[in-house]
Amino acid sequence: MNQFVLQQGHSPELELFPHIVELGAKKNSSIQLNSLPESVSDSIRIYYVIDGKFEWNIHHQPYMLYPGDVALILPGQAFGSEKGFLEIGSLSWIHITIAKLESGEVVPGKWSSLSESESLTIGKILVLNNSLVLSKLNEAGRILQYIQSELFNQHIGYCTRVNHLIDELFITITRQLTRQSNPARDFPKAFMQLEQTLRQNLSHQWTVEEMAAVVGMGTTLFNEKVKSYSGFSPINYLINIRISEAIKLLKKVDISLTDIALDTGFYSSQHFSTTFKKLTGYTPSEFRKNNLPHN
Amino acid sequence: MKCIITIELGTNAVRVFAFDLNGNVIGSMKGHYHTFHTGPDYSEQDPEQIFITMLYVLKNLLNEIIHPKKYAVASICFSASMHSVLAVDKNGVPLGNAITWADNRAKKEAQELKNSPDAKTIYTATGTPIHPMSPLLKIAWIKNNSRERFALTSKFLSIKSYIIQQLTGEYLIDYSLASATGLLNIHTLKWETGALDYAGISAGMLPDLVPVFASAGKLKKAFQNSLNLPADTKIIVGSSDGCLATLGAGIWDEGKATITIEDSGAVRVVGKKVLQDERQRFFNYLLTEDCYVSGGPTNNGGIIFEWFTKQFGDFKNPFDEEQSMEELIAEASKVHAGSEGLLFLPYLLGERAPIWNANARGVYFGLNIKHERRHFIRATIEGILYEIYSIGKILEEHRTINSLSINGSFASIPFCTQIIADIFNKPVNLRADYHSVGVGAFLLSATEMGIYKTLDEAAKTIDLPDKYVPRRESHAVYSSYFSIFERLSTKLAEEFEAIATLQEKDAADSGTNKVLSKIKLT
Repeated sequence: MNQFVLQQGHSPELELFPHIVELGAKKNSSIQLNSLPESVSDSIRIYYVIDGKFEWNIHHQPYMLYPGDVALILPGQAFGSEKGFLEIGSLSWIHITIAKLESGEVVPGKWSSLSESESLTIGKILVLNNSLVLSKLNEAGRILQYIQSELFNQHIGYCTRVNHLIDELFITITRQLTRQSNPARDFPKAFMQLEQTLRQNLSHQWTVEEMAAVVGMGTTLFNEKVKSYSGFSPINYLINIRISEAIKLLKKVDISLTDIALDTGFYSSQHFSTTFKKLTGYTPSEFRKNNLPHN
Repeated sequence: MKCIITIELGTNAVRVFAFDLNGNVIGSMKGHYHTFHTGPDYSEQDPEQIFITMLYVLKNLLNEIIHPKKYAVASICFSASMHSVLAVDKNGVPLGNAITWADNRAKKEAQELKNSPDAKTIYTATGTPIHPMSPLLKIAWIKNNSRERFALTSKFLSIKSYIIQQLTGEYLIDYSLASATGLLNIHTLKWETGALDYAGISAGMLPDLVPVFASAGKLKKAFQNSLNLPADTKIIVGSSDGCLATLGAGIWDEGKATITIEDSGAVRVVGKKVLQDERQRFFNYLLTEDCYVSGGPTNNGGIIFEWFTKQFGDFKNPFDEEQSMEELIAEASKVHAGSEGLLFLPYLLGERAPIWNANARGVYFGLNIKHERRHFIRATIEGILYEIYSIGKILEEHRTINSLSINGSFASIPFCTQIIADIFNKPVNLRADYHSVGVGAFLLSATEMGIYKTLDEAAKTIDLPDKYVPRRESHAVYSSYFSIFERLSTKLAEEFEAIATLQEKDAADSGTNKVLSKIKLT
């Protein structure tokens, strides 16, 4: 294994790739004090364990990592070794800056050739998931190796190739994230988890692709399963939840109709009003008038 | 052309059926809603989600099938799961989620009442077993543990009462559903003072009592418009799912029993008299004032086989539980009756009738070196059905049962239906389309309209075409294994309690030490 560290601003290899903050591989054969203190960074950090056993704290949770495991540290999350030093073993890693949109969502960035909607979905899944260690993801280790050899050899087309490989890494990790939380057996449970996620992020403009990705399913299968299980298409099921939450808010006096509309994920109070009336026969304000204290 | 619409507010979903006046299904649709488990023993549902889902499904059925075919809706009849409780404030606004039948938070209240001299009086008067499922105990729990909510509560409703109130403005409950609250005297048809006192409420805090045939008032104007229904569309209060499933299965005479197995299950008989059981093992619910549906419920029905499938099924296609289940059953059918001596007690969710032991747990018993995966599959199914038989058996101490009628998605799997016939040693009838609740609600509406003179006459129109005949040899095998099953169910009581206590402690510890379990997982 070749040991190396490339750093943005120091290594000419990274000049054409401003989004790669750091790329490295290391075989650690001796323990050095304070070699891995807890740190927070703006970039997304991905570590792949080649060999050894590591005890790390990610986002203040202790994890034990074994060969083949991947640690995923999101921007703003703390990461470091339990004991402050890097244990004996081999690992490779990459740090990538990630773009934050005005809406607060994160996406890989302009260098990526992912489509806009897939990019959003991947960002969403990365942020939503709380399992920060992925087990047995050898694929990630291989991709990191390819990135390294592309950067060092600089053959024709390597610029495109490196960025494609980073896209590939994101896709692989996202797929594993959703698969890990849903072992493709218990649809009711997966659907329940989805509903909880939807309710916690109701103001987000969910697409079917995003919802399918949350439960780790392809869109076609997802549509079919939701329809046969719930009687509704995914989008109509979501509208149901939006309206039920809106009804609860309408029965409280102190929230404006516009706020309710936006909180429950409608584009505008107009959109809210039309959808609400179509389903219930009342406009939101009529509904509120009927349900407020009569005094 | 006229049609009758039935709306079933079930455990997981609302099912809406439209029938022509001859009882043929014109169309049906369902809409799912979730049960939330916000704490151990908690099972709650969002009343607004149930309302909106019901409205959405009803509207779709009307717009896609009923209106285009130019049917006029003669009536809409409701049914609902039993034992739900929803507290509302003085403006009718829900105070939190509805608590469903499966909620066990009132365990302590149930135990206390059971040990008090009032238990017998209350059970005899109300016909509802003293169990956390009972609204009586749920309300007592709110009184003891959620004081602010209790103080703000103007009424305690059932989910159905809330849905009807949203549609028409009236706070109503039928005698039938009310007879499953533990608060209604099923002999005098008045709220039982002793029970009200125990719950700490007055009769005014409950919806008004009406017969199952009663009209629930007019649809509010907005709903008349959005659903495109005339103002005089009759809204019938209806009954509970359990009573209507029994009616829909055509069970009206003595000598018959009905077995329903969906996720949970029940064995029921119908009669003009209450079944008095010294050991308080049965429920006695009213359908009409001279008709009692009596029987015993189990927690561990099809949901246990679903659990088994999720753990041990092959899932060649992702999330395809149905396919995996079919393959397991095909494998089980290659094993002889009795699973070559492997027994299964299915009490994964604790058990209600007949052992009424919330601490009961699952057991595989009799395992030897020759047993294979397929024996486990068959034993699991047989265990679920032995449990059903154990309810039937105690009912037979009080009533003669000559034949059975089957409904529910699990019981009507042919493999299961045959085993039921064999274990009970009785002929079994079923209709493959398993919507007895809807059919029951149709019969109720049709009787209300005068199409049938009485419910008795209505029930007699039910013809269940498929018949399963018991097989003598299988019955002999099942009988000998069942006696061991039955002994184990009660013999293990001490060990059930010990392990349930340990499990509870373990769950509490891992709750505070989530970090530890995370390390184990990674």
